[in-house]
Amino acid sequence: MQPQQNDKSALNIERAQVYDHVVLIVSGRMDAENAPQFEEKCNVCMAEGCTTLVVDLGGLTYVSSMGLRSFLSVAKTLQSKGGALRLCCLKGLVKQVFEITGLMQVLSVYESVESAIPRG
Amino acid sequence: LSVSGASRSLTIAAKAESLGAVTEFVRKGAREASLPEERIGQVDLLIDELITNICIHAYRGDMPGDVTVTYSVPAPGELSVEVADQGAEFNPLKAEPPDLTSSLEARPIGGLGIHLVKTFAASLTYRRDQGWNRLTFGISASP
Repeated sequence: MQPQQNDKSALNIERAQVYDHVVLIVSGRMDAENAPQFEEKCNVCMAEGCTTLVVDLGGLTYVSSMGLRSFLSVAKTLQSKGGALRLCCLKGLVKQVFEITGLMQVLSVYESVESAIPRG
Repeated sequence: LSVSGASRSLTIAAKAESLGAVTEFVRKGAREASLPEERIGQVDLLIDELITNICIHAYRGDMPGDVTVTYSVPAPGELSVEVADQGAEFNPLKAEPPDLTSSLEARPIGGLGIHLVKTFAASLTYRRDQGWNRLTFGISASP
């Protein structure tokens, strides 16, 4: 069985702390069914006082428009709190989808986790 | 759930939980057409967006219904897929294109799905046919 079929509907979200910043490491596939899981994780972080979230999408292989809704919704909420959603490591289909929908310009997107972590 | 080998069509309840089965079904067609891996991800996305649209716009609220997905391989390296439902008339090709340049504050969170469909499909047609919405897309191995 191909690895892609093993995680066909799964979304995995791990949480890491780098200095003072929370980094969410998202992998698998994000669609209508599981995008709310991502929003819930972000809401938990926001409830703890995080206003800037770094999200590593290096392991995300698929995102539908319902996943994009979640990214936009979280980014809007963080911005209203004076913070930001900082995405990094997009590749393949996910990067293509962000480019086509103009989200590369509207969201903060970085090449690496290191460059996504706010300095100062 | 019924699968007809000759016509290569699948009829299934139009709901989010059916997406996995429809995706698997259409991937068979993608493999028959020898589409490369990169295209198969795009086919997954087209199916996902179209089924999601049907669940939201064609069968609203507590009006459940079925979706019939039919694929064919008109030529090597080419896949044609029709997605049909008997819900309210809805032509997604007539939807207002999203403004992709507006700022984060001004950006609506929806409206991107059909834009993705229009971009990834090599061809895309809609027709209303005796109570059916019939949307057909083509995708090919070559860019």
